[in-house]
Amino acid sequence: MNWKVAGQAGEGIAVTGTIFAKTCIRHGLWSFAYGEYPSLIRGGHNTMQVSASTNPVSCQQKLLDVMVALNEDAIALHLDEFTKKTVIIVDKKNTKLNWEKYALSSTIFDLPMHAISLETTGSSLAENMVALGASCALLGLDLAVLKDVIKDAFHKKGEAVVAKDESAAEKGYAYTKEQGLARAETIAPHPNNQILLSGNDAIGLGALAAGVQFYAAYPMTPTSSILHFMAENETRFPLVVKHAEDEISAINQAIGASYAGVRAMVGTSGGGFALMVEAVSLAGIAETPLVVVEGQRPGPATGLPTWTCQADLQFVMRAGHGEFPKVVLAPGDIEECFSIARLAFVLAEKFHTQVFILGDKYVLESAQSIVRPAEDWTNTRYSLAQETLPEDNSYKRFAVTPEGFSPRSLPGQPHGLQLTNSYEHDEHGYATEDGAMTKAMVEKRLRKIDAILPFIPKPQLLGPQDAEITFVEWGSTKLVIQEVLRQLNTTHPNTANAIHLHGLMPFPADAFAELAKRAKRLVMIEGNATRQCEMYIREQTGITMRERINRYDGRPFFAEDIVDWVENQKKETKTL
Amino acid sequence: MNTLSDISLHTSIFPTWCPGCGDFGIWGAIKKALTELAIPEEQLVIVFDIGCSGNMADFLRVYGFHSLHGRSVPIAEGIKMANHGLKVLVIGGDGGIYGEGMGHFIAACRGNHDITLLVHNNQTYGLTKGQASPTTTKGVKTSSTPNGLIENPVNPVALALSAQASWIGRSYAGDILYTTEMIKKAIMHTGFSLLDVFQPCVTFNKLNTHQWFQQKIYKLESEGYLSNDPAKAWALSNQEDRLPIGLFYENPDAVPYHKQLQQLSDKPLVQQFPTHVSLKAVFGEYA
Ligand SMILES: Cc1ncc(C[n+]2csc(CCOP(=O)(O)OP(=O)(O)O)c2C)c(N)n1
Ligand code: SF4
Repeated sequence: MNWKVAGQAGEGIAVTGTIFAKTCIRHGLWSFAYGEYPSLIRGGHNTMQVSASTNPVSCQQKLLDVMVALNEDAIALHLDEFTKKTVIIVDKKNTKLNWEKYALSSTIFDLPMHAISLETTGSSLAENMVALGASCALLGLDLAVLKDVIKDAFHKKGEAVVAKDESAAEKGYAYTKEQGLARAETIAPHPNNQILLSGNDAIGLGALAAGVQFYAAYPMTPTSSILHFMAENETRFPLVVKHAEDEISAINQAIGASYAGVRAMVGTSGGGFALMVEAVSLAGIAETPLVVVEGQRPGPATGLPTWTCQADLQFVMRAGHGEFPKVVLAPGDIEECFSIARLAFVLAEKFHTQVFILGDKYVLESAQSIVRPAEDWTNTRYSLAQETLPEDNSYKRFAVTPEGFSPRSLPGQPHGLQLTNSYEHDEHGYATEDGAMTKAMVEKRLRKIDAILPFIPKPQLLGPQDAEITFVEWGSTKLVIQEVLRQLNTTHPNTANAIHLHGLMPFPADAFAELAKRAKRLVMIEGNATRQCEMYIREQTGITMRERINRYDGRPFFAEDIVDWVENQKKETKTL
Repeated sequence: MNTLSDISLHTSIFPTWCPGCGDFGIWGAIKKALTELAIPEEQLVIVFDIGCSGNMADFLRVYGFHSLHGRSVPIAEGIKMANHGLKVLVIGGDGGIYGEGMGHFIAACRGNHDITLLVHNNQTYGLTKGQASPTTTKGVKTSSTPNGLIENPVNPVALALSAQASWIGRSYAGDILYTTEMIKKAIMHTGFSLLDVFQPCVTFNKLNTHQWFQQKIYKLESEGYLSNDPAKAWALSNQEDRLPIGLFYENPDAVPYHKQLQQLSDKPLVQQFPTHVSLKAVFGEYA
């Protein structure tokens, strides 16, 4: 089922959507919640849509079963999402519009949200609850489950608020039944082990599971909610969270904390990351472990703050002056956000390097139901100097080793004195301008790349082994491509499969080439205009792709559009 | 256990500063102060900024971090938050601390991070060969201001006061014993301490020379000054005919940053590595 709510910013659209998604999950349905909103606090058009199904769902769908329309834009801007089967919930008394203008074939369900809200709660604030009750009736969802979710969402506001919201939902449900619109077959709630996480939540949880102890950031969409998540958990875990005076400070504080021995992470978006870049280079030569989350949004500059893109790949891979190793991982869905966050801390600490989690608004702010990850996690420390160091002070922090990294002493540790240096340095850390030492240090650091490569997630083949078309995508496009494959292969098996890339740097070139070799027709899909990943693959493997789909209007891909692309291609081939 | 001493602090690299540079005096005072404080050698971290001053990184054997130009302060804050058991000292120049890193300086004062910030204030950029710095006197001709500097200088003491730093002192590199005492007090203060040290740059600053300072400076305590009144401290920090050195202001009641974090009340963060993590409490909110 596909459900959507649309209205003005400030009308509680996101909360309403989350309540609906959780209600679906508690029925045992897989859910995906996707929101669009402008960079404004009030006014402007906001939407949140939830796809739910008994089968796994990984993205939003264009065609709607139910639209809760809180204003005229909720209809006018969404005409291509309505079909004959769509039910549009609207309060006709409150939303005056010229119906003829739209020539809708959908069912218009006139729900007096405003009047019911006023009557049951004394204010208009519970209109959304009325709509949620009505939505449950329309789709055959259990009212008791909805009420439970409402209770959990608002219990902090007190019993009185919960009671009012519940009764508004009840009235909405009852009204729908009275109108004879309730769905006859109901969906029975199923106890299950799913939770609804956004990518940001999942990264936060993965980081906690990995033993993060220091998080510093300066707020910026789309990663601000990692800061909120971390701050919320600051006293539950041995964790310090710092909203720093700017991104430069945030990353330098994290480098300091990491030097002192705790696992540290920062989060930002392109503009904030630009400010961090000098320190990225510092951590490179200082060999300080660090995890950096870069949530992409369209640029240049302030760009489209609340929309999505995949246009910072080359920027992040090349960030920092000088040459030093870096790890870039791009989670493709919510589960990967969790697992990659955990992996990131291990790699950072093991190899004394920086690991970038390259997300985007789409995967970071969308929410997906996933099987609850394990609750208990164990962590070990890596690549630290032995506890008792020789008393003759012979320990060398930057010893030139075959694997490229050298055991690290921590301040406070006797006989481990060392200088961590932004200047090129000798094995103790003291500055050097010696040519041979410089060369040895450059090579030592770059040797880590080979050591890291086996730990980089391999490209994943999604869909059937053999197919007519093999899509190549990276990061969040996995969410959409899974749906594309489902749709294409259901009607015609083996139409398409996909190579999903989440380990990008160092690039698992052999594994990619292996998969690419078997493909009949490679089609690159990515969310940027300059073919950044396609060019990178060419550089790393020599493989040239001849077909591509690029999107750079701030919107995520929609499965329907890619399916249409394939269908149109087929038609074109026939006419040729 | 080895405590810091002249011998323990020794590295095989001899300072590359110009003969007569004020940095030698500060270096001597730091070594003397650390020796007298008898801190275990592994319990101190010094974060160095980039500049002639920061080059001291190679001349002191300590746990050190030679950071970026202007970024030494946030590195030091991060170290302190991760392990508040350490003493953390920052060495930087007026260019790095009051110019490139001005925002960090103010934030560190406001946060009352328990670190000591020692600024070699030579009123010029030493390492890049004598351009105007944030503390250069208006009108002075330098290689970057051949027609005379247009801006007014910043007043570090007044800035720190307005940002509510809890310990603000000033010294003069030519007086090693006095500087030693000031460094000791600054390090022993719990909370943020700024020690601005007049440091003649013999090569590039022909105005603020040793002789110039010696004619103008006097010690605050010699005139019965008490260091508890921000308004008086403000007034004195603006004196130009005579230049007071000593403790301008101290607020012994200000609680340092790390003591306001309940998760650090038992032990330093670094000693609380999460070997076992349970996410149970967090998952509840997402079901
Ligand atoms: C980001 C950056 N900009 C510029 C420089 C070049 N630089 C090195 S030291 C310095 C100024 C030094 O002046 P100051 O901080 O007062 O220290 P001093 O050398 O006088 O002790 C500059 C501009 C740099 N290293 N990094
Ligand atoms: S240039 Fe100035 S500050 Fe630098 S070493 Fe020489 S005298 Fe000292």
